[in-house]
Amino acid sequence: MNSNKDYKAIIIGAGPAGIGAAMKLYKSGVKSILVVDRNDRIGGIPSFYKKKKGGVRTFMRWSRGGYPVFGEDFAKWLESLISETDIEVKLDSQVLEIDAKKKSVTFVNPKDGKVIVSADAIVMASGSREENIAERKWLAGARPSRVMYTKQLLNLDRNDLLPIKKPLIIGSDTIAYAAAAKLKVAGAADAIIVDNRSNPTCPIHERLYFRFWTNPSFHGFNVDTMEIKGKESATGVLVNGKHFDCDGIVISGELIPNSELALIGDIKIDIPSRVPVVNKDHQLSESGWFAAGNILGGFHGAEWCYFNGKKTAGSVLKYISKS
Amino acid sequence: MNKSGKLLYNSLNDNYEESLKFKDVSQLGDTPYDVAIVGAGIVGTALAYKLSQYKVKTLLIEKNYDVGEGTSKGSSAIIHTGFDAPVDTLESELVTKASLEWPNLAEKLKIPFKNCEAIVIAIDEEQEKKLQVVYDKGIKNGVTDIKKLSGEEVKELEPNVSEKVRGGVLVPRESLADPFSSSIAFSEIAMQNGTDIILGVEIIDVENKSEVIKSLVTACGKKIKTKRIVNVCGLGSEKFAKIYGGENFDTNPRRGQFLIFDKHSGTKISRIFLPIPTAVTKGVLVSPTIFGNLLAGPTAEDYPHSFETISETTTEQLQLLKEGASKLYPGLNEQPVINIFAGVRSNCTQGSYWIRCNDNSPGILTVAGIRSTGFTSSPALAQYLIYKLKDELGLKLEENPDAIDSRPENKWPGWWKPRYNNKEAVKENSDDGKVVCYCEQITKGDIIRHLDSPLKPRTLDSIKRRTRAQMGRCQGFDCMVNVAKIISYHCEIPLEGISKRGPGTEISSTIPSNN
Repeated sequence: MNSNKDYKAIIIGAGPAGIGAAMKLYKSGVKSILVVDRNDRIGGIPSFYKKKKGGVRTFMRWSRGGYPVFGEDFAKWLESLISETDIEVKLDSQVLEIDAKKKSVTFVNPKDGKVIVSADAIVMASGSREENIAERKWLAGARPSRVMYTKQLLNLDRNDLLPIKKPLIIGSDTIAYAAAAKLKVAGAADAIIVDNRSNPTCPIHERLYFRFWTNPSFHGFNVDTMEIKGKESATGVLVNGKHFDCDGIVISGELIPNSELALIGDIKIDIPSRVPVVNKDHQLSESGWFAAGNILGGFHGAEWCYFNGKKTAGSVLKYISKS
Repeated sequence: MNKSGKLLYNSLNDNYEESLKFKDVSQLGDTPYDVAIVGAGIVGTALAYKLSQYKVKTLLIEKNYDVGEGTSKGSSAIIHTGFDAPVDTLESELVTKASLEWPNLAEKLKIPFKNCEAIVIAIDEEQEKKLQVVYDKGIKNGVTDIKKLSGEEVKELEPNVSEKVRGGVLVPRESLADPFSSSIAFSEIAMQNGTDIILGVEIIDVENKSEVIKSLVTACGKKIKTKRIVNVCGLGSEKFAKIYGGENFDTNPRRGQFLIFDKHSGTKISRIFLPIPTAVTKGVLVSPTIFGNLLAGPTAEDYPHSFETISETTTEQLQLLKEGASKLYPGLNEQPVINIFAGVRSNCTQGSYWIRCNDNSPGILTVAGIRSTGFTSSPALAQYLIYKLKDELGLKLEENPDAIDSRPENKWPGWWKPRYNNKEAVKENSDDGKVVCYCEQITKGDIIRHLDSPLKPRTLDSIKRRTRAQMGRCQGFDCMVNVAKIISYHCEIPLEGISKRGPGTEISSTIPSNN
C-alpha cells in the first residue's frame, strides 16, 4: 500500500493480544509498527501479577506443555520479544480519541505531549476491565472504603501492600480464586467467596490447583440484590438475610471490554455488552480497524490473547496487501 | 492585601502535615470569632464566602474532612429557576433571586456552568391538562420567560423524547453546574479573605450559651470562643440544635437515589426533562450533567432519623427509577449505567427553610430544612442570613475593601480544561502529559495541583470531587491505587494511610505483603 500515513500499523494496547499482533506483523515483514499503551510497562494485566517467592503462579503456558508461570514473567517474556525488534513502543501514552475515517489516533504522553498519528491499519487490543458495582445491577448498599476491584488489589500488592486481613470476594471465576490464594499467601484468612450464581464460575480443576494455597468457602445465591455493608470501611455483605463478615471486599471478574474509544469514534459496539461488532476476520465496522484479545468479550487467558492477536494480525496483513 | 485565614485539620489524622494539625486553640489567636459557621456544606460555605466580603472574624468548622462532603455532594446539580417552588415562600423568593445571580457567580468562582434549559413534559391527557397549572405557577413565581409548547414543538427540540409527548413547558433559564467545585470555591475565596477553616472536627457542646462570648466544645476537647453561632449542619442541624437547646423541630432524611449513565449518553438529550409533579413528589427527572453524562433521579424515600442505612442504594428502587425515567426518554434503557448513588435531603417537618434567630439563646442562628433547592438558593440564602446576623444578632457589617470575590484565573483548572491541549504545557511540566484516570482523562499534574490547592485535600474522595479521577465508567478500577500513590509520594503519607474520606476509611487494614 502506498499511502501518506505515519505508520503501516498502529496497535492500541501492549498486553498479550497487542504484542501478539505486533510480533506477527513484524515477522511477516511489516515495517513501521507503533504500539501505544497507557501503562508504564509492556505486558498488560499479567504485569500486575507480581512474581514472589512462594507466590501463586496463575498464568498457563499451554504451548509449552501447560505449566504455570507468574504473570510478571509472562509480561517480561512479551517485553523480551519486543526488545529484539525495531517495533516502536510508546508507554505512558493515553489514547484520547480516534478518527475512524482518517484512521488516526490521538494520544498524549509526558514526553511528546499530544500527538496525532495515522496508519493503514489499526488494531484495538485494549483488553477489558471488571464490571463496576452499578454495572452488575444486583449489587447495592453502602459505599464504604476498602471495597476494591481485583486490579486495585494487585496494584497495591505490587507496592507490597495487601490491604485486607479477612477478605470477602464477590465473584467466583479464576480471577476470584487467584485473588483468594494471593491474599492467603500474604497472611490473610481464607476468603469468603460470594456470588450471584449457584456454582463457582471457576472450573473445578483450577479450584483444585488453588487449593494448594487456600481453601475459600463458596456461597452461591440466586438473588435480585446483595448489599454491601459498612459505614466507614467495608464490614460485610448482606444477602438473603444472611450477613457475611469481612474487613474488606474484592469485587472480581465479570469482564467488560474497554471499547469506549470505538464507541466515541462511531465504530459499532454492542450495548450493554460493549463488545465491538466484528466480522470473522476480526475487522470492525470501519475499514482498516481490527480488534484482538479480551476486547472481543469473554474471559481469556494471556496466552489465548497472544495467539488471538497473531490471528488478527493475519487479517491485517491480508487487508494491507489487498489495498 | 488580606491576611489569609488558617486551615486546620483534626490532629488525630495522620494524613496531614504537622503544620495543618489543630492541636491547640491558641493556634486560632486570642480574639473570639464574630461568627462561627458550623457545617461546611453548600449553605455554610456560601455564607462564609459572602461574609468574607465584610470585616468579620469568621470561623467555618466541619466534621467531615472536606467541604461539601455531606448532603451537598448528592444532588442533581441543577440550578433551578424556582418556577415550580411553593408560591410566596421564602424558599421561592431565595431560589428566584439566586437563579439570577448564578451565571455571574459561576464566572467568579471559576466553576463550569451551562444554561441548558428544561422542559416539563406531559405524556398523557391528564398530564397535559396540568401543564396550564405548571405554567401559571411559574408566572406567579416571577419566572416570566417560560413558554408553553405543543407535542410537536417538544419533539422538534428533543428528537429523543417519548413518542407519547403531548405538550410541555419550556423553562429557558434552568441550568447545570458542578455542586462539588461550588462549595470548594466558596471556601477557598473565604479563606483567602481571612476566614479560618477547621475540618474533621465535630462540635459536641456549647458552653456559656447565654453569654455574649460562648464556647464551642469540640469532640477533641477544645473550646473555641465565638460571639455568634450559625447552625447550618444539614442533616445534623436537629442534633446540634438539641445541644444548645434551640426550639424543637424535626428533620427526617429523604433519600434520593440517582443513576449516572456513561458519557456519550449525555449527548442524546440536550435539555433537562422534568415530569409533571404530583402532590407527593417532583418526580423523576432525566438530565444531562455538566460533566457530559446523563443522570436520572431522584427517588423520594422518607425515613426516620434513626434509619441507619440512609445513604445506601437499593436495587429495587433503582429499577423503579429506570422505569420512571424511561417514560420521558425511552432510549434510556439502551444506555449503560456507570454509577448509582444515594443523596439525602434534609426534610423539616415544620416546613422548609426553618430559620430561627437568637434561637432560645442570644447569638445563635438555626438554619434547617434546606432541602433539594439548597444548591440553587445558597448564595441568596447566605445574603439573607447576613441580614439576619446584622439586624437580629447585632453583627456590625463593614465592607472589606481588600476582599476578593473571585478565584484566580486558571490556577487549578478543572477537568473541563485539560492542560495537555496546550503544547507548551506538557513541555513545561511532563506531569500534565501523564494521564492517571483513563476514563475521565485526568493527569498527574491535575492531581498534584489540587493537592497543593488552598484546602489541601488529602483523601481519595476529595481528590475525586475536585478532579473527577475515579468518577468515570471504571469507577477507580484502573486509577484508584495510582491516585493514592500520588497523594502518598507528594504529601509524604504512607500508602496504607491514604483514606477514602478520613480516619476509619483507610485503604488498608494493613498487612505488609512482603513474602
